[in-house]
Amino acid sequence: MVISPVHYIALPLMAAFLIPLFGKLNKNLVRLIPGLVLLYLSYISVILMTQVITKDTTIIEIIAGWSPPWGINLVFSPFTGFLVSLFSFLGFIIWIYTYNFKPEVDYAQTQKFYVLFMMLITGAIGVVLTGDIFNLFVFLEITAISAYSLTAFYRERDGAEAAFKYLLIGSFASFLILLAILILYTQVGTLNMAEIAQRVPDMNPYMKGVILILFFVGFGIEAEMFPLNGWVPDVYTQAPGPIGAIFAGIVVKAGVYALIRIIFTLFDVVEVLQLLVVMGLITMAVAEVIAMRQGRLKRMLAYSSIGQMGLVLVAFGIGTHEAVFAAIFLMFNHAIIKGMLFLSATYLVYHSKEKNISDLDGIGKLMPFTAFLFALGSLAIVGLPPFAGFWSKLYILMAAADARLIAVIAIILVVSVIEIVYYFRVLHRIYFKERISTVEIKIPSFNAKFAMLILALVIVIIGVYPDLISGLIERAATDLLDKQHYIQSVLSVGRN
Amino acid sequence: MNSLIIILILVFGGAIISFVLNKFLPILLNSFVVLIMLAVSYFFFSIDAAVQLNFEIGGFHLQWGFTSAGYLFGIIVVVLGFLTLLYSTAYMNGKDNLGYFYMNFLFSIGAMLGILMSRDLISLFFFWEIMTWSSYLIVIYSGKDVDRRGLKYMIFSAIGAYSMLMAIVIVYSFIGSFLLEDIFTSIYAIGFGYQLAIAILLMIGFGVKTAIMPVHVWAPEAYAGSPMSFTALFSGALSKMGVFGFALVLFNLVSTQNWLINEVVAWLAAITAVLATFYAVIQTDAKKLLAYSSIAQLGYIIIGLASGTYLGVMAGLFLAVLHAVFKATLFMAVGAVERQVGTTDMTKVTGLIRRMPLTFIATLISIITLAGIPPLGGFVGKWMLYEALITSDHYYLVIMVFLSSTAAFLYSYRILFGMFLGQEEPEYANVKEAPLAMLIPMLVLSAISVFAGTFPGFIIEPIQKAMLVLGFENRIPNIEWYQLSVLFNSWGDKVVLQNIMISVMGVFLVGLAFITIKGYKNQRYVSTKDISSSGEVIQPEDNMTFQMDFYKPFERAIWPLLKRKIDDYYTDFGKGLEALFDFIRRFYSGNGQLYAIYVMAFLVLLLIAGTKYFGF
Repeated sequence: MVISPVHYIALPLMAAFLIPLFGKLNKNLVRLIPGLVLLYLSYISVILMTQVITKDTTIIEIIAGWSPPWGINLVFSPFTGFLVSLFSFLGFIIWIYTYNFKPEVDYAQTQKFYVLFMMLITGAIGVVLTGDIFNLFVFLEITAISAYSLTAFYRERDGAEAAFKYLLIGSFASFLILLAILILYTQVGTLNMAEIAQRVPDMNPYMKGVILILFFVGFGIEAEMFPLNGWVPDVYTQAPGPIGAIFAGIVVKAGVYALIRIIFTLFDVVEVLQLLVVMGLITMAVAEVIAMRQGRLKRMLAYSSIGQMGLVLVAFGIGTHEAVFAAIFLMFNHAIIKGMLFLSATYLVYHSKEKNISDLDGIGKLMPFTAFLFALGSLAIVGLPPFAGFWSKLYILMAAADARLIAVIAIILVVSVIEIVYYFRVLHRIYFKERISTVEIKIPSFNAKFAMLILALVIVIIGVYPDLISGLIERAATDLLDKQHYIQSVLSVGRN
Repeated sequence: MNSLIIILILVFGGAIISFVLNKFLPILLNSFVVLIMLAVSYFFFSIDAAVQLNFEIGGFHLQWGFTSAGYLFGIIVVVLGFLTLLYSTAYMNGKDNLGYFYMNFLFSIGAMLGILMSRDLISLFFFWEIMTWSSYLIVIYSGKDVDRRGLKYMIFSAIGAYSMLMAIVIVYSFIGSFLLEDIFTSIYAIGFGYQLAIAILLMIGFGVKTAIMPVHVWAPEAYAGSPMSFTALFSGALSKMGVFGFALVLFNLVSTQNWLINEVVAWLAAITAVLATFYAVIQTDAKKLLAYSSIAQLGYIIIGLASGTYLGVMAGLFLAVLHAVFKATLFMAVGAVERQVGTTDMTKVTGLIRRMPLTFIATLISIITLAGIPPLGGFVGKWMLYEALITSDHYYLVIMVFLSSTAAFLYSYRILFGMFLGQEEPEYANVKEAPLAMLIPMLVLSAISVFAGTFPGFIIEPIQKAMLVLGFENRIPNIEWYQLSVLFNSWGDKVVLQNIMISVMGVFLVGLAFITIKGYKNQRYVSTKDISSSGEVIQPEDNMTFQMDFYKPFERAIWPLLKRKIDDYYTDFGKGLEALFDFIRRFYSGNGQLYAIYVMAFLVLLLIAGTKYFGF
């Protein structure tokens, strides 16, 4: 079988539909298949990325024989490939973690969980890989529906409420995006993103602006921009822990990718980058400030996540090559670190009903391994050396300095101090308070520990030696900013 | 392998290994950490001055190597590190979480060495942050009052570190390199406004560690609340990292035209010195007293550095070295008392001179050095400082320093008298002298103080080499260090220190013998509660010893100054912020429809008012 980017979409999708059938053969297959699929995807990620990097090429995959710009194509470039590899790898790690996450959940539920899990992965990867804008919308919908269902997975009142809010706001997003695509189609007559990019400069500026606004708001909802992110805290708090990790690590990255692709590749409106910086700063400041007042652990992590995504938007908004480099690096770091924080936090508050931070008092002695990993994640996300988060923060600040945006630097640093305060307060509770809560603790299973440990190792290793991936990210940044290259690679396939 | 790498691997590797070792073979832990430190000392002292390391990481060009300035402070770090580790082996005996303690202790030492060997700003910041969080982890070691003490320390350290980071990225964007030598040569090309901003930001960063007002509020509780063996290192070596930074910044980054910055810094340091001394005087806990005293002493050092003259800088650096020596001894002595007696509250502890004579001698020598009395080392430093300030026309600063030094006598006396002299309480009759592992470091450091009083040359020589790096020319004649024991003043008079030392020692010893022999027979024991009370019946629980309210009149006199602490301002500010944040939190009310309205409102807003951002 020739390795091609189609596998990224075909395999999880097939697996999702076939899991119930395999389940009839043997119940354990339901748990195993997602793992196998993700392992394979991680494997082909390595191969395809090597190919793309060493040959300095973009792999364009044509679906069903219709070459662009008439047919749908997949684009595996250094940038999209990097994101997809990150998704596959993170998905695999999280699968390891979920293998026997809630043993009391019955078979029917488990089956549904893994089906939806596969659909979520398909959708997110599809959003990143596709080269056709309506296809992007379709994959976004797949992601959204799976996400809504997974949020409400526990079938309790809170989960249902969170899922409903997500559904409400998410439908807005879908509506706005669809509207934008329709209007865009009437203007440029094509759905292929490369061809759109070619034709957009000639569009009526008013129509261009309106369409861009619609995309901005629509994808902004998915990218957790202020004031569109009302749905986020509830969803991250109520969804099962590993799903929260997937949302923070994969789904929102897909949303940001879509927004960035629209702004950087499809449209040529440079002024919107300034708005992106402003909105990113507001998102970050508001989110971190609120995080400090949270009493529930996962809610605090949710706001922290919003804050980091705000920072990513700021970095993309600065727009220079090093800023984009910093943004991608931050996306990578955030996925890994936030993933690990959610995974460890889930076990820290496993049996707690309210999942309050006060339930964590004194838990450091009872769950030393998990607490230590949580502490490591906290130090990393705040940006302390020698962990990975330090480098991304440094690069963003350097990019801002080069662009002479001193106020941006000051705001980012003030917010960093606030981050330190609320993360360290949690650490103080974990290690230095007396345990008065009577909530039972749950020791993570071996596979959960293994998954978290891998993420922790990545954080430390990248922290000490960032050169391991900075080369990849450098190529990804160059690729994102090179609009002409994108257009040519896609459209030239059609001509051959 | 490059000896710089060896040193770092030894320290950081040793830290991790000691953590693991504590789980499996705790008995070896003490010997292991001491050996590691010995190995590090060996490599450090045998280092070749020209050893450098250049490498690329993350797209940055990093350069490591000890400049003479770094080497000077490195000596402090390594010597103090070794002695405090030796002291820790006895001081921490029997406490738990030792692996955690030693790991962070070694991390701190390693980070400090890393800072000193950094020749580029990225490494400097990298190690600075490691030093911050590893020292933070020890500050919260005892687990008491963690939120207030530890968080305050972390917040201020973070503010300092991030100011530094901001300055670093701005410098990089102008100059394009992180290497210190590149920055020193090209800094003048940047616009004055930016230069000023960079200098101020860097000074905030270093000022936090040096505990200058107004960013000093973390220091009293952090120093007092950490284990004393670490505080010795904390106050002795870690604060000098800030001094090191100041030396770099004030001299190489800020051109001499910016005399205003020097003046501002000098005055801030002077105010710090005076106020901190006053606070020290009214303390009842020996640890807090020493903490405030440290803040004051660091003030002197910064005044010296900020004066900008050759003699001033030399005085500042000399005082820095000496402060490391005597302050570490004092903290160790207080730690010894704490360990042997159980408390350091000076209203309770008294009369330990008989029980802990060696500790007393170490304290005595350190106090004399602190106060700047001849023939010990502090005198040399203070003399140089005064002369530097007077000759550079900083008369008001001289008054402030003098005021502070004189007030320092008050607390010096307090700590000496409070813990050691005076009547012995019956409950302390069984106190034993501190163990050998704790005594040796104290006595070694005391010996250095004594030695520095007569032969200051052995400290001045490395200082003078360091000052070459900082941009000063060598003005000391090329003579052997032990000959440099003569002080000159402007009129050409000579003060020959050896003669002073010999005469003072002679008088002291004769007097001591005389008093001991003569007074021995005339001793009379009196209960400490034997006070006239004019007919009132004193209850047993009333504490009426002389130790209570020792400086009450003084406290009454300076009360207006102490009324409103800067700490209170910060606390109020923090509370105000929390209220503001609560208000912002209400934005996310939980009502789904409200969120939907936000989306629509944002969309409408953009459509109406966002035209300039969207190209129409």
